[in-house]
Amino acid sequence: MHLLSIDLNHPAHYLHFGVVSISAGNLIMITSIVVLFVLALALPFPNHHDDEGSHK
Amino acid sequence: MTRALSKHDPAKKWSGPTRPYDLIKEFVIALVVVAILAGGLAAVFSSPDDPALTLKSWSTADPADFVQTSVGELAGTTTSAGYGAPYNTAAEGQVLGPLKLQKWAGVRIPINPAKDFVISPLLILPDAAVKQAVNEWNVATADAQTKWATAYADALAKSPKSTSLDDAAGAYGPVPTITTALLNMAQTGALDGALTTSDTPLPTNFTKPMLFIADSGTYFPDLASAQHLSGDQWGVMNETGSWPGQSWLWLFSFFYQVEPFKSSENADTQVMSLLGLLTLLLMFLPLIPLLRRIPYRIPIHRLIWRDWYRRKKA
Repeated sequence: MHLLSIDLNHPAHYLHFGVVSISAGNLIMITSIVVLFVLALALPFPNHHDDEGSHK
Repeated sequence: MTRALSKHDPAKKWSGPTRPYDLIKEFVIALVVVAILAGGLAAVFSSPDDPALTLKSWSTADPADFVQTSVGELAGTTTSAGYGAPYNTAAEGQVLGPLKLQKWAGVRIPINPAKDFVISPLLILPDAAVKQAVNEWNVATADAQTKWATAYADALAKSPKSTSLDDAAGAYGPVPTITTALLNMAQTGALDGALTTSDTPLPTNFTKPMLFIADSGTYFPDLASAQHLSGDQWGVMNETGSWPGQSWLWLFSFFYQVEPFKSSENADTQVMSLLGLLTLLLMFLPLIPLLRRIPYRIPIHRLIWRDWYRRKKA
């Protein structure tokens, strides 16, 4: 497992856009969250079509 | 009244479309996925392990800054000495318009930096010269204490690398002896122990050493800036090293970067009040005209339930 470990104990890389200053780690996290949100919207529900829309 | 209730009664049986939903199954899947992600990412990336800052590490790495800050505590010119509530009454503190929020909260953790950070810890040292210096300080008038400390602070400012200066003119009183003894005590680690156990038998209360370190003129601010942890660097949402930080605090951090909050002395109360107002807007969105029309303008729910809307249309 030690071979797999990635050391992040070094100064972060920061990106600057006007007043915005964001670390690469935070940017990756926020981008991942947005991508997951879009995927959750875009991907269809798995095999629920038979049940969906049925009326009791 | 009865007719209106029957039309909009939330307890009325749902007659629209339904779908099976296994809440336990969803919960178990979410728990397993999150556990695997948390365990896997922790194994690969570990966690931040910057050593904690202590009075010992500060006084060893930058003894001149430690001594200058100690003299500042004696002179009453440091941040904590002039902070106001909850530590003292030296300032009004943060206000929101006419609301003196910090002052009204009261002095709940009374701290006198000169006495608590400098003088009292020295009383445990078995050194006659130090005891005499402390006694000379304690019996002096407040004016004399301020005069000594201010004169020594001014002299150290002209010699920023020095940790002790000769007092040929006798203008510094017992201050050089006191600060030199405090520096020696801090470098052994004894001052950390003295401050963390001054109120409790076990070293669990770090309020005093943290306030003392935060008063540092250069050492602490420079370390914070190097790690992008200062308030004007979006520091609230950053972490030490290269780990991602508290990215969910982006909006909170954002307001500290722009005017009028950036240069305001009351930025904390202003930003927190603004976020409270935005939270209320979100909570009561369905009741707010215009804003409650947003789902009609941006119908994301129709994207989520697109199958149902497609069938309904068909």
